[in-house]
Amino acid sequence: MNESGQWKPKIIAFLCNWCSYAGADLAGTSRIQYPPNIRVVRVPCSGRIDPFFILASLQNGLDGVLVSGCHPGECHYLSGNYSARRKFALLKGLLEYVGVEEGRVQFSWVSASEGVRFAKVIEEVTSHIKTLGPAKILVKNIPGGSFDVSAHP
Amino acid sequence: MVYAAEETFACSIDSVTRMADTIRNKGLNRVIVAACTPRTHEPVFQAALREASLNPYLFEFANIREQCSLVHMNEKETATEKAKDLLCVAASRAALLQPLYRISYKIIRSALVIGGGIAGIKAALSLADQGIEVNLIEKNDTLGGLARKIPETLEGEDVQGFVDALIQNAAENSLIHIETNAEFVDFSGYVGNFLSVVKTGKEGALKEIRHGVTIVATGAEELKPREYLYGEDGRVMTLLELDEMIEKDNNSVKNCDAAVFIQCVGSRNDERPYCSRVCCSHSVKNALKLKELKPEMDVYVLYRDMRTYGFKEDYYKKASDQGVIFIRYQPEDPPDIHAIEEKGKSFLRLTATEPMLGYRLEIDADLVCLATASTPPAGNKPLSQMLKVPLNEDGFFMEAHMKLRPVDFATDGIFMCGTAHNPKFIDESIAQAEAAASRAMTILAKDELTAGGPVSQVTTWKCSGCGVCWTVCPYQAISCGEDGISKVNEALCKGCGVCVSSCRSGALDLRGVSNEQTWSAIRALLG
Amino acid sequence: MSQLIHEIKEAARDFLRDGEDRTVIGFEQGSLPLQSRPCFIRKENDLERLVWNGFCKNNLAGYLPKRKGKIAIVVKGCDSRALVELIKENQITRDQLVIIGVACNGMIDRNKIEADMDGESIVDVEEGEDVLTIKGTNSSKVFDRKEYLYDHCKVCTNPVPVIHDILLGQRDSNTPQAPVNDTFSDLEDFSALDGKERWKYFTEEMNKCIRCYACRNACPMCYCPECFVDASRPQWVGKSTDLSDTMIFHLMRAFHLAGRCVGCGACEQACPMGVDIRKLNRRLQKDVMDLFHYKAGCNLEEKTPLATFRTDDSDSFMVEP
Repeated sequence: MNESGQWKPKIIAFLCNWCSYAGADLAGTSRIQYPPNIRVVRVPCSGRIDPFFILASLQNGLDGVLVSGCHPGECHYLSGNYSARRKFALLKGLLEYVGVEEGRVQFSWVSASEGVRFAKVIEEVTSHIKTLGPAKILVKNIPGGSFDVSAHP
Repeated sequence: MVYAAEETFACSIDSVTRMADTIRNKGLNRVIVAACTPRTHEPVFQAALREASLNPYLFEFANIREQCSLVHMNEKETATEKAKDLLCVAASRAALLQPLYRISYKIIRSALVIGGGIAGIKAALSLADQGIEVNLIEKNDTLGGLARKIPETLEGEDVQGFVDALIQNAAENSLIHIETNAEFVDFSGYVGNFLSVVKTGKEGALKEIRHGVTIVATGAEELKPREYLYGEDGRVMTLLELDEMIEKDNNSVKNCDAAVFIQCVGSRNDERPYCSRVCCSHSVKNALKLKELKPEMDVYVLYRDMRTYGFKEDYYKKASDQGVIFIRYQPEDPPDIHAIEEKGKSFLRLTATEPMLGYRLEIDADLVCLATASTPPAGNKPLSQMLKVPLNEDGFFMEAHMKLRPVDFATDGIFMCGTAHNPKFIDESIAQAEAAASRAMTILAKDELTAGGPVSQVTTWKCSGCGVCWTVCPYQAISCGEDGISKVNEALCKGCGVCVSSCRSGALDLRGVSNEQTWSAIRALLG
Repeated sequence: MSQLIHEIKEAARDFLRDGEDRTVIGFEQGSLPLQSRPCFIRKENDLERLVWNGFCKNNLAGYLPKRKGKIAIVVKGCDSRALVELIKENQITRDQLVIIGVACNGMIDRNKIEADMDGESIVDVEEGEDVLTIKGTNSSKVFDRKEYLYDHCKVCTNPVPVIHDILLGQRDSNTPQAPVNDTFSDLEDFSALDGKERWKYFTEEMNKCIRCYACRNACPMCYCPECFVDASRPQWVGKSTDLSDTMIFHLMRAFHLAGRCVGCGACEQACPMGVDIRKLNRRLQKDVMDLFHYKAGCNLEEKTPLATFRTDDSDSFMVEP
């Protein structure tokens, strides 16, 4: 929520150091513009991502979660993204099953040479989350507390 | 947060020195830099911490350039808000950073070279020259590899003489131990401390070799195609087969009135999209050779593109001047070939479209030479799995980075050279072999290596011994210890964190990117 | 039935006589009608306590993690699959065990019986092949056995133990049997609902949860020395009964059971509030089957799906701009 009262989504993006983070850097050096709604947390590998991180993000009221890693077969750590892929598939299915809107939590593969693709992924994820509106499901509601969603209609 | 400063060029030597001074003077114990990307500049600032006797892992970087100012140039306010958030993330992580220490271990000052062709022998000699003991293993009976089939280079250099000298040098070098008829059975260990098991000799005895580095020089092969009547008609042959024929039986060659070379057989198609690099020059060499043996022979080269690059272009021109006819064909309209018996004569008739005239030409030939693709040997796949190094889509060994690390594998301590990497000329293989040896020396020149630091760690009382982490680790760096509790080998652990996210019991954590630090980073972004 | 109980006791007796310092884990009569409870027998004299009936609902495999010594254990179909997973996860070794497998005809849900007692208390029960005759405070009622089974028994794919040293009993052909390749038909209607309606359902269910962790304690696959719920650095799950905290507890417990849950229903049986816990586990069982072609507890060779991968696992759920 900002001063003008208009909701702007805040999306956390977990990027793997060797591919996706590097791809994001390339988008920067290439001066490719994309929406400013993501907040990057660098991890060594997409395989480092614990489902807890994603749930904690949703619980804290972040409007979206993106996890991005190396393309299958190109993981710097050989198979980290393969292990991650299975977790992500199950977690995404489970979250959507309980009613978390489709597209709040997203996964992508972006390589170090794909600055353009990185920007496109951010565009797509951001615009989709804008249509979903602020996150409400799984957000922790302590009455009157800083998480109180009712204070931010 | 006790101190904040703005620097225009934080990475300049001045700034870095100032940073080290400030850390010392103010007794700072955590440092955050908000600037460009840690991927390039983290080591620069970590040097400042080291300078000030602060553990370099007590450093955090906020990327507000490549991932903020450069990509939100028209939205200054929101970009500033984002930068503030990124700093909150950095601050929350910094508060939880712990000093990390790397462990040292002694290395084995020797090398294993897999493959006894030109590249392998050259790499071995280069290392031996620098005082390194080398084990060279070769799967065949004799050394020399594919070069044994090449009489001369395009430039006229004597390949066989060169190879003979190379083999003799290697055989006479007391530091080089050669095993022929060798088969790779097992490979384990890590940079500085590898263990290979090889089956050698005619009896197949098992030999253990301990080495500090590995160089892969397993070469390439010439494709035996299934087109243009190859295998069905003895007058259709590959370039190397023509080389052999010219060497051993040039009377048969002199009986030919017309010869046709067909380029790009098996290369630059759906199955093998790559160009095999050497075959245009090889065909020009053989075309010139045919003209030398019999100047009145009609020699044609049916090509897609003539890739006689650099100074090799001179030989292309020379061939053209000597009357070799070069006809271009399109991949959608390749030449046709038929074996014909006509008026008591037997020959091969090729039909191709001449692009400039627009006519279909018939060329009657006595000899058709196919410039076939260079292919990776079948042994690449099992070897790559054993060494845990990648192959590219075409089955050749894949380097860590095309420009920054062209002879390294991503796995530390393993290097490659020669046609194992991709098709190339002899001089290019030699250059790469020297490069691989040179890269290997960056490890072998040291007494010790360090490992560990930002690696995985086990909280033993939380471990239930379920074994998921042992299975999931790409490097087998975590395994079943005593009492069935997991144990991390810090020398092998690369710090990917897959084990940590797979552990249901929370018994594992990754130093430097711990659960608590990540949790804190998420909380710092209160929605 | 009495023949079966006799066979179980004989098998247990042979086991105890075969060596020293041994334990039999089986069922004995509980303190109330329609209740059996686990029992641990170390002396031959105590073997007469052993029972076998339609109330032997507990998953005894949950008593095995890190247990020492030689153990004979009575298992139903679902229990045996949990046993397979526990062996694979190094919580017990195969050669410690003598597995007395009993073919199961489904277990009776006491709550369902009570709901249809017209307010009368249950005084006594007589269990027949197809019916239960319940003596209430005022009257006697007859219940069709197969209508009063636990929900998880109604979708059971493996009533006959998949691993055993001795196999006793018979699956009654009158009891409807779900196909061994689970069709997950019980999820169809729910999955067809709108996301908002599903969230509403989970809100209602999880608001019942009092965070007693009985589900976790009863689950044979929950054996971690420190459960994630008790972790404090970081505190993954808040301690409040705020819906968000409760949902995260159940979501992560279900996730930790992905590819490991055998659908034994111990969680639902233990829950004092009647929360529909298995709704989450069933979905993950289905996804694990659809995506990874894996069913928990079928054999000792297959690796658990989250510890392994295939290079051709599906990417279809990912963003493709």
